[in-house]
Amino acid sequence: MYVGTEKVNVQTTIEDSPVQAMLSLKNVSKRYGSGPEILTDLNMEVRHGEIVCLVGPSGVGKTTLLKSLAGLHDITTGTIEVNGRVMSGPPEEMALVFQDYNRSLMPWLTVEGNLKFPLRHLKLGRQEVAHRIKAALKEVGLERAGAKYPWQLSGGMQQRVAIARALAYKPQILIMDEPFASVDAQTRFELEDLTRSIRDDLGMTILLVTHDIDEAVYLSDRVVVLGGQPATVLEVVDVPLGKQRDQVETRATPAYADLRSDVMRMIRTASSASRA
Amino acid sequence: MALQIGVPILILVIWWAWSNSSSNPFFPPLSEILVRFRELWLFDKFLSDIVPSLSNLVIGFAIAVLLGVILGLVFALVPVLEELLSPLIHFYRAVPSIAIIPVFISLMGFGNEVRLLVIILAAFPPTWIATMDGIKAVEPQLHEVAKVFRITNAERVFGMLLPSALPQIFTGLQASLQFSFVVMIATEMLGSSVGIGAMTILAQQSFASVDMWAGIVLLGVIGFLSNYLLGRLRARVLSWYDKSKALQLAA
Amino acid sequence: MNNVSSRKVALGAAGLFMAVLAWYLIALGPMRESPLPAPAQVFSAMIAMVQDLAFWESLGITMLMAAKGFAWALLVGVLLGMAVGWFGLVGKALSFVVEFLKPIPPIVIMPLAILVLGPTQRMGEFLVFYGCLLPILYQTAAGVRETDPVAIQTSRSYGVGTGEILGRVVLPSASAFIATAIRTAIPISLIVSVVAGLLGGGPGLGSEIQRALSANETADLYGLVLILGAVGLLLQLLSGGIESKVLSWHPSYRKLVH
Repeated sequence: MYVGTEKVNVQTTIEDSPVQAMLSLKNVSKRYGSGPEILTDLNMEVRHGEIVCLVGPSGVGKTTLLKSLAGLHDITTGTIEVNGRVMSGPPEEMALVFQDYNRSLMPWLTVEGNLKFPLRHLKLGRQEVAHRIKAALKEVGLERAGAKYPWQLSGGMQQRVAIARALAYKPQILIMDEPFASVDAQTRFELEDLTRSIRDDLGMTILLVTHDIDEAVYLSDRVVVLGGQPATVLEVVDVPLGKQRDQVETRATPAYADLRSDVMRMIRTASSASRA
Repeated sequence: MALQIGVPILILVIWWAWSNSSSNPFFPPLSEILVRFRELWLFDKFLSDIVPSLSNLVIGFAIAVLLGVILGLVFALVPVLEELLSPLIHFYRAVPSIAIIPVFISLMGFGNEVRLLVIILAAFPPTWIATMDGIKAVEPQLHEVAKVFRITNAERVFGMLLPSALPQIFTGLQASLQFSFVVMIATEMLGSSVGIGAMTILAQQSFASVDMWAGIVLLGVIGFLSNYLLGRLRARVLSWYDKSKALQLAA
Repeated sequence: MNNVSSRKVALGAAGLFMAVLAWYLIALGPMRESPLPAPAQVFSAMIAMVQDLAFWESLGITMLMAAKGFAWALLVGVLLGMAVGWFGLVGKALSFVVEFLKPIPPIVIMPLAILVLGPTQRMGEFLVFYGCLLPILYQTAAGVRETDPVAIQTSRSYGVGTGEILGRVVLPSASAFIATAIRTAIPISLIVSVVAGLLGGGPGLGSEIQRALSANETADLYGLVLILGAVGLLLQLLSGGIESKVLSWHPSYRKLVH
């Protein structure tokens, strides 16, 4: 178990949803320079302790939305609020896991060094830093890899390091950009379960972008379907598959199959609509 | 391994044997060269000639490297500077480095400060350019990582940009060292009576071929050793880079 | 794209203009009493120079020394480099020698070269040869070692002989490395050719600079240095242009460009 100080009770947070949202987007639109609008009139929110997956046809603008959410670039109109505060620039309660672990980890630092790097400016005590690193590595199952370099590890393990780096930062909300797109299928299942256990253990809010509908349905409490050109939120699908999920059993239930077909139909309509 | 060491030893033995009976004034016996080497450099001329040469080399190289890294950093972070000065940079690098020596000597004379200045001016461009290229080549995603985790600017420079650019910077350092070494010798050969280069060229001009050989051998040893030490430093600092590259190649 | 490059040209021109202006102001202002010539003096000296046949002769000799030394170095360097890269024994036998000589620049052996060959064109050619030989040899050997073993094995299995493999498979595949070597060796050839004149008393532009320096004719001196820079720039452009034409097919070159 992760020894966190601000552990949130997941169950109550989800049900008491009138509580202020962790992340909320209001009438967000984005265009690059004088180019065409990529996102338009986009409204959505992510509640405390929720896992939300963003899906949509490829090229719809998922990355643009994600970069807006992470404060990596300004939005053209609308507001993004984090914990009720209007965001400008990357918020302190947020961490991001990038798709390409081999481009987002620093090859000259050991695994521990990579975890430590974003903590330096937080001016934590030496003990607190060591404690956070240890706990984060434990959470992702890499207790013994701290002294290794990222490039000595397999792809899946490198992505675990990237996740641990985000965890050690102790964000309230974790944003993940197609985090399992470049690992093999077995590793992908493991990392999906890891993601759910992080939420359960740490009460973290997680927003995950993926192009994989199975993954979205399996992971989420809610799935947000993006579509259109410029893109906006087409549909928000609740995923009542329960708290305990299992790669084999959950995926075999009729409810899972129905949800999966629903989401797939929406995306197909969205992509044919945007092509027309 | 036996071959690797054997051939150089064989060359030395042949040189020794062949030159021992040599009456050619240009190629005196190796034994005489070595005797003279010891007489001259250990330690008769050590303080008067070796120390000034080496201190110019070391100080000039160190300042050149510092200047090169700082300039490279600034130019990489402020791209308009490079655009503004790129024709000048190209031109400056095309001028044979030795040719800038007379330019400064004509202005400021032959003093030691001028020699040091010329070493710095000739040696900083490779490090400068390499640093600039290295920092511009930093993985773009790392910039996003730094932004998301709200890394401070100082940490971004010293913890991310410079370490990431180190492989390129070291390539620049190796070239800068070569330039420092060549220009050190050149400044000494061009109107100076102090230093190993001056000793060697004066010996040649007075046909003291044994002394000249002793000078050449010493310069050769300094050239080799300085490069070797830098290589060792590089191997230590960049072991992460070499190992990860080796792993990539093996895969 | 066009916008970007015209911006670059404009900024570059502005930079050049500012540099000349700064030179002008310094020469006429704070350093009026020093021997620093003003830009106009230097340019008129350059114009006088290019109208003088003796200048072209010097330039020709410098270029000839550089070209001859370079050509020999290319020939010997590529042949030796292929031997070093291809035959493990040769590589091992020469590795210490090459590693020892590589960081030793031509200026170190210049006194010996002057002693044996005198302050002549031959001396300059020899130093250029020595200065260019090791980079070319080293790169060629590296290129040979990088040759795709599959390509070699394929040729072997079709019964192609070693000589033909070296000429038809290994040499073309090492050509990108050799091209890099040529690009580094060309500036070296010019530098060493000038050094041979400036410090070694050999003929050519180097000795012209030496003469201008000892006669304290700073305008001539600066003019010569500027001309050398122009020549160096021209050689770089030339070697870059030839390289991109000859090597456009090579994978590593394609990767570099795109």
